[in-house]
Amino acid sequence: MEKLILRRVGKDHPDSEEMILNFGPQHPSTHGVINFIVETDGEVLKKAVPEVGYLHRSIEKIGESVGYPQFMPYTDRIDYVAAMFANEGYALAVERLLKIDAPPRAQWLRAISCELVRIASHLVSVGTMAMDIGAFTPMLHGIRERETINDLIEALCGARLTYNYHRIGGVAFDLPEGWRDKTLRFLDHFDAFLVEFDRLISFNEIYVRRLANVAVIPGPMAIDYGLVGPNLRGSGVDWDLRRDLPYGPWALPEFTAKVKWSVPVGKGFTGRTGDCFDRYYVRCLEMKESSRIVRQALESIPEGETMAKVPRKVKPEASEALGRVESARGEMAYYLVSDGSDKPYRLRVRTGSFTAMGIIEDVSPGLMVADLVALIASLDVVAPEIDR
Amino acid sequence: MTAAPANTPTRTPRIGANPRGVVLGTLAIGFGIPAVLFAAVLVLSPLSKPLMIDAFIRNVLGQDPATFGYRNLLYGLSVAILAFVLVNFGAIVSGMTVWWEMRVSSRMQSRVGYNRVGAGGFFQWVADAVKLLLKEDLIPADADQLLFRAAPYFVLTGFALTFVALPFGESLIAADLNVGIFYMIAVTALVVVGILLAGWSSNSKWALFGGMRSAAQVISYEIPAGIAIMVPVLMAGSLSMQEIIRQQGAWPWQWNLFTNPFALVAFVIFFVSQLAEGNRTPFDLPEAESELVAGYLSEYSSFRFAIYFLVEFGNLWVMAAVAVTLFFGGWQVPFAGPEVFAAAKGAGDLPGLAWWGLQILSMGVFAAKTLFVLNLIVWVRWTLPRIRVDQMMVLCWKYLVPFAFVAFVATLLWQILLAHVPGARTATGAVLVASTAVVAAFFIRQTRRNLVAMGDRVDLTNW
Amino acid sequence: MPNTTQRGYVGHIGDTVKSFWHGLSITASYLLRRPVTVQYPDRTPMPVRDMLPARYRGFLEVDASICTGCQACERACPIACIAIVLEKDPANPKLRAVSQFDIDEAKCMFCGLCVEPCPTGAIQHTREFEGSQRHVRNLVFRWADPMSPFPVYKVDKNAEYYPRAQLGSLVRAKFDAKPWDARGPKFLPPAPPAPPAPKPAPVAKPAVPAAEAPAQAAAATTPAESK
Repeated sequence: MEKLILRRVGKDHPDSEEMILNFGPQHPSTHGVINFIVETDGEVLKKAVPEVGYLHRSIEKIGESVGYPQFMPYTDRIDYVAAMFANEGYALAVERLLKIDAPPRAQWLRAISCELVRIASHLVSVGTMAMDIGAFTPMLHGIRERETINDLIEALCGARLTYNYHRIGGVAFDLPEGWRDKTLRFLDHFDAFLVEFDRLISFNEIYVRRLANVAVIPGPMAIDYGLVGPNLRGSGVDWDLRRDLPYGPWALPEFTAKVKWSVPVGKGFTGRTGDCFDRYYVRCLEMKESSRIVRQALESIPEGETMAKVPRKVKPEASEALGRVESARGEMAYYLVSDGSDKPYRLRVRTGSFTAMGIIEDVSPGLMVADLVALIASLDVVAPEIDR
Repeated sequence: MTAAPANTPTRTPRIGANPRGVVLGTLAIGFGIPAVLFAAVLVLSPLSKPLMIDAFIRNVLGQDPATFGYRNLLYGLSVAILAFVLVNFGAIVSGMTVWWEMRVSSRMQSRVGYNRVGAGGFFQWVADAVKLLLKEDLIPADADQLLFRAAPYFVLTGFALTFVALPFGESLIAADLNVGIFYMIAVTALVVVGILLAGWSSNSKWALFGGMRSAAQVISYEIPAGIAIMVPVLMAGSLSMQEIIRQQGAWPWQWNLFTNPFALVAFVIFFVSQLAEGNRTPFDLPEAESELVAGYLSEYSSFRFAIYFLVEFGNLWVMAAVAVTLFFGGWQVPFAGPEVFAAAKGAGDLPGLAWWGLQILSMGVFAAKTLFVLNLIVWVRWTLPRIRVDQMMVLCWKYLVPFAFVAFVATLLWQILLAHVPGARTATGAVLVASTAVVAAFFIRQTRRNLVAMGDRVDLTNW
Repeated sequence: MPNTTQRGYVGHIGDTVKSFWHGLSITASYLLRRPVTVQYPDRTPMPVRDMLPARYRGFLEVDASICTGCQACERACPIACIAIVLEKDPANPKLRAVSQFDIDEAKCMFCGLCVEPCPTGAIQHTREFEGSQRHVRNLVFRWADPMSPFPVYKVDKNAEYYPRAQLGSLVRAKFDAKPWDARGPKFLPPAPPAPPAPKPAPVAKPAVPAAEAPAQAAAATTPAESK
């Protein structure tokens, strides 16, 4: 990769002021261990090529050597900022292999825990984005709210980051006592917090000017590059797996009847559709929607058991299954191929951050260096998801 | 409170708050060091003038100043001691500003901040300074050896020289130049030289570009700052710092800020320009870029690095002090006009005790106002995001410079037409103070509403 | 909401003032609120482990008196950090005893998969988390003594609950048994294979021309030196 860039710089133009730099792999921001090879003349970028793989841990290969139930904690580590979705996707895929369904209460609990974690993940995302743009305070306010969510989930399943809460056939625990009231109280406080957060940073003139009309990704381009999640919706494409390809709880008729929500789509809130601000603001709006969802779900959750009858040794017949969930970073898909034994033949995880890496190279020409930071932050990439 | 379990590392954990000894020690040093420094400035700055030294020689030493052999030595010695005190003042104030800024900013972010090294974490800056001193001093092999070493000292000189003309009190100024404010602008330009030298001598293309960009920022913002400074100069009719203060009064409706609506505009422009010159958020892109890529400071380590940050935080004090001088009435003490000072001075060579008391009062007023403006700068830093380089240039040339020119020309007309109308100054002062009070009341109401909206209360615990 | 493509010069200034007004008032209000920091470890209202929820997944604890030796936890662990060895009681061949029940807490990822299949609840996650040790080998907790294996528990099918020691007490006992910086157990590495016996240097080679003898001697000594 460096050779491709080096060819054009230096020898041919001895007076050129172009240089090649490494952005990373150690960033002060929390996007993870990613390297960007940046070709710039000091001000404007010619190209920024991402280089991934620093955080590769062979999780897909590990999946082939531990059994189906034992792989669940590893899914937490695929995307540790929003681990609940990874759990859910894997559980869905294995349940499809086994041709069983989780009971309704378990599905509702999955939705509740996932939406709470979506709020937590978006808080990290918008917070670190604000910090990259230079506003240090909103991030800490977001982290403070995230602490309460972490405490709630800790009371629910015992851990704050690597949850291992969903199981094949349901969820591990039912709601503890008092959890429902604590969560509802938190959501009331959180809705007020979101209003304050918007006033503090989202509509700050400097912030808007930094993000509006920067790195515009038009809708068709987003689809071509395979962007998913808030990145895709920020470009104006109205697509959300929870509504358009419902899975798990989102396919239950009583869930969709009791839980009303909408999909936020970018429409050029402060500039053109598909700029950094749209992607950022779609996440803010999604937090509000998730809060609505959790509130309605907690108020109408049905009684029932939390685990289906799963055979003791999980040995699905030789087939394949796909489990897709709408994670905080977009569509996360688990493709499982089973060969009849108790370990999968192939386990493939498709994550949203990986394709977001691909688009950086083609959107970056013409950006300034400060805009590259804004672009990477607005795409909400987390390195563990890219490299697995 | 249970003790730590046996398996934790064996050190004595503090259970509860800091012990009383630590608190008292911190208070003693925390108030003691500034008190010593201020006292030194108080005593030395009036006494290091030739007249005073002559009086000292005549009265205390009983010699005739004209024939005293060591007279020039005493002149030089007193100035040298004052200079030493002022440079120390700058350095220590810079360290304490770091502590204050970190404590204030951490509360704004819902966290506690420094609180272990000394009561309230007061000695953290000392610990950081010692840590920086103990780091390895790396100089790149291909860097320009002399300039790399010299660059921090340009910046330090530019910073230290500003203290010469800072009016700490009514007679407490190291050198009452009649081009005081012009001298201040000139001397702060040395910082640009330091930045450019740092960028160039690091022998790194990125450091060079970072340095050039930062220098461009500082130089561009000197234009609106300079034009904005002309507004109080026009109102006072002099470039001398003390004269500008003497032309204002002690009460808010007598400050430059409120006696001329265009001075209000000029203050805003001046404030923004000083933020840009000091590389403070929202204008800290040259430094923030150094988080992600190398900036002009990339190759500096240890003490050379410490000097840059000492200057940045010390600059807060200088910026605030200049703003206070130009717009907020400086050291003017309420109820104590120039005749009170003259009366207290007495007829003898050395001034009387009442005069010294008034000086202390004036110094206190100056310090309080400077701290207020300093807090404004800190507050703005932790609220606003960063501006991009091209937006910064647009702001400077398309917004600040035109407004500064308008303020300048309007002040010219104001001075010619209205300033000599009797009562015009007081009327404008009253109107502007009243409207500012109304705006401030609304702001406090908004702040209170923020608290109530989230269900919180005013709670100053958890230090 | 400001739309930057259409605001003019004045509008920009107005938006700036408005947004700064809101932002500055919010940070000012936070200056007056109580920070949420909990100052661990010495300024907390009560020890942190008592503030944790009941389901917290801390260090694992095994109550040997109710362990049935089924090895379900060993099979369930994704990382194989539990090692259980059963042996037949020599006195009574029908009884089995657990002679080794090691959990490597350094490898453990605190997932809780071992707790679920346990039929009696012998293995549980406690709320202990302050278990730092200087030597990583000290994090291997041995819940069975090889010198005196404990007999497996016979499950009473009519029992309503299985009597267990207070959760966390056994782990705390292990912590208190030795200081945090105790030396780790010495596991000697296996002895390296014995080096091959060195070939004796050829002293005299009859019937070889003198020119070849030094070459042969050199060839014989260099392989022996390089071994």
